Amino acid sequence: MIHWKIGTAALLSAALAAGSAAFLAATPLLAQETVKLELWSRQDPSGPLRPGNVVKAAERLNKELEAEGSPKRVEVAVRESPAKGFDDDALQLLKVFGIGEGPDIFIAAHEWICAFQEDGFALKLDDYIAKYPQHFGTIFPSLWSSAKCPDGTYAIPQDAEARMFFYNKKLLREAGYEAAFVDAMPERALSGDLTMDEVLEIGKAVVDKTKAQYGVLHRPNKGPDYIMVFNAYGNDFVDPATGKLLLERDKLAAAFGWFERGVKEGVIPANNTAMEFDALRKEFYTGNAAFWMYGIWDLGSVGFPTYGLPQDEKAFFADWGWIAGPAPEKGGSPVSLTHPIVYVIAADTKEPELAVRLLGHASAADLNTDHAVTTTHLGIKPEQLEDPRYAEAWPLAKATELLKITKFLPNNSQFGDLNGIIYAGIQGIESGRLSAEEAADFVIEEASASLEDVIVK
Amino acid sequence: MTTTADELTIERRGHARSAARRRTNFVIFLGPAIVLTVLFFVVPVIIDIAVSFTDLSRSLRISEFTTEQYEKVFRTDRRLSQVITLTFIYVFGTLAIFNVTFGLILAITTTAIRKVSGSFFRGVWLLPRMSPSVLYILLWLWAVSPTEAGLVNQVLMQAFGLDAPLDLLTSAPIALIIISNGFIGASMGMIIFTAAIRGIPEHLFHAAAVDGAGTFAKVRFITLPALRWPISFVTIYQTLSLLVSFEYILLLTKGGPFYDTTVYALYVYRRAFESGQYGYGAALALFLIVIGVVVALIGWRFFDMERLLQRPRIEVH
Repeated sequence: MIHWKIGTAALLSAALAAGSAAFLAATPLLAQETVKLELWSRQDPSGPLRPGNVVKAAERLNKELEAEGSPKRVEVAVRESPAKGFDDDALQLLKVFGIGEGPDIFIAAHEWICAFQEDGFALKLDDYIAKYPQHFGTIFPSLWSSAKCPDGTYAIPQDAEARMFFYNKKLLREAGYEAAFVDAMPERALSGDLTMDEVLEIGKAVVDKTKAQYGVLHRPNKGPDYIMVFNAYGNDFVDPATGKLLLERDKLAAAFGWFERGVKEGVIPANNTAMEFDALRKEFYTGNAAFWMYGIWDLGSVGFPTYGLPQDEKAFFADWGWIAGPAPEKGGSPVSLTHPIVYVIAADTKEPELAVRLLGHASAADLNTDHAVTTTHLGIKPEQLEDPRYAEAWPLAKATELLKITKFLPNNSQFGDLNGIIYAGIQGIESGRLSAEEAADFVIEEASASLEDVIVK
Repeated sequence: MTTTADELTIERRGHARSAARRRTNFVIFLGPAIVLTVLFFVVPVIIDIAVSFTDLSRSLRISEFTTEQYEKVFRTDRRLSQVITLTFIYVFGTLAIFNVTFGLILAITTTAIRKVSGSFFRGVWLLPRMSPSVLYILLWLWAVSPTEAGLVNQVLMQAFGLDAPLDLLTSAPIALIIISNGFIGASMGMIIFTAAIRGIPEHLFHAAAVDGAGTFAKVRFITLPALRWPISFVTIYQTLSLLVSFEYILLLTKGGPFYDTTVYALYVYRRAFESGQYGYGAALALFLIVIGVVVALIGWRFFDMERLLQRPRIEVH
């Protein structure tokens, strides 16, 4: 009995001692203040490190804070949205902000930032960017223009890429084109010698003379790539003098005309917009289509891993290649489009300074290169070019050539909506419901009726 | 000894008790239905009207009260007339071909054959309604896939020697939305009509047979007259249901190609949720409510539903 009592006392003492030790050990932690920053990110297999790098950056920032003797520590909570694309995601996030449930930081497509800025949801970053040159000083100046709204900078560029027309050289050779002609196409496109209509001609030859069913395929939902065609025909969509949306009927009709001719010639399928993304990719990568209008990251995300395209540069360019968006006529200007993804900080975040520093670390050259080389996106800083991993990823170096002629989508808060109308116009043409002229009228009517301050010429 | 005044008081108390009981019964029996109606019909309609007079847009903020949305409906929206015409074709087509006619054919044929076989076929026709909508449409997407792998194309190409696969989603989208919705809608009519046919006294058919009536005469002179009320009910109910439902269309064609299969309810959805024009969507939705009420009233009058719902002759106390 006594033994039992002694045993109990011993147990109690041990428990007390352990509790005290744990309490003492925890005391310094209690003095720390954990700042939780919520990050909104779309579930996107083509860029898992966009949020992933911010989570990693928290470790670096916390070390820095510790070294500074700051009691604050940052914890990043990622909130993933299942939106299909960046447009859907932005619309969803605008609602989330509207009901006061917005995150501290979010990842968005650059053309949406002014929609957030206009409603007061985005933090102006000019002063912070100037304050932390060690983080932001070397980001390519051209990329900053994609992060600006009329009154300042509202985002930090996260990556860039290049949009192009991929093509299947094997099919072109099968259609009777000389290997030299096929290999020279990228150069001809860049010099303005290859035209948009020649692409349709080549597509038609492939459809007529080979087993391939399709000449040109494009994305089946609203997005940036097909805007390249509109850019090629001179549509910039924004009036440089006023910053308002600009629609020029003749230029719109000219661009729609290209899609119309494509469908009439059997080069673009009439049901392109009804097909699934994966089905379209499969058609191109398995040799059933001559051209695929998309972006460089598709090689890293899908082309190499899913369809086994050769990862060796020489082997790849033996049978595959890409061209810039060709000029509308010989001697005209070719086009390419880059669509930077950006980090934005919420205007009402309680810790703007920490959020900026966190994104500063997330923009570190090594972390950004991790994202660039694993998903075939272009980096944001010149020092990344010296990273051997970056140099090894030859699609990046090759695609960088297109940056010389690249354009951005306009950073206008209504461009996302306008793009939806343009996409509906393409769908109307391809399904035979509209002619090119009618599609131009449709875009002008719809945009004038549902958007504000649209200039029509 | 009780006086007349006392008797009156007792009688009044009795009346008062009976009135109180009536009130209690009203609250107990009708209260939940009234609360549900107010919560899920009246309140949303009031909210919809309120929102339609605002500029509520993609960030869910209201900066002004305005009649701008109604101006858009009447003045600038050029798609609306096409959408309304399509909605009429869709509702009338689905209703006339499937929900009533085909439902009726199914009910008559499955009650005319052996009970086991009848139940089996009714069970088969209930499958589309029992399947989750996404699964049902996935099967449709496979069936009408524009490639050689699509079910319809396999049949047409292998059995009928068709050269190239058909793309029905592009060439016949309206027919597809009518058929896919009709396969589901027909089952409701089928069940209601079957129940009504089962309710017809058996001896009427025997008497008709004795009088020399054939199958068609029996259907024409006994079955159909007995189904007048169920047909009226199914027509009104399914009209309203088709006017507001769009999930199968959204899943099958996304309202396309272009706006070809964008019926009114889907148009409201596309405007409000795909373009973030919530104020405009609310104004458009209000017209849908008005159309629904008008259609219900016309149907009520046309089918003389008042007689169907008249007080029963037998009173139960």
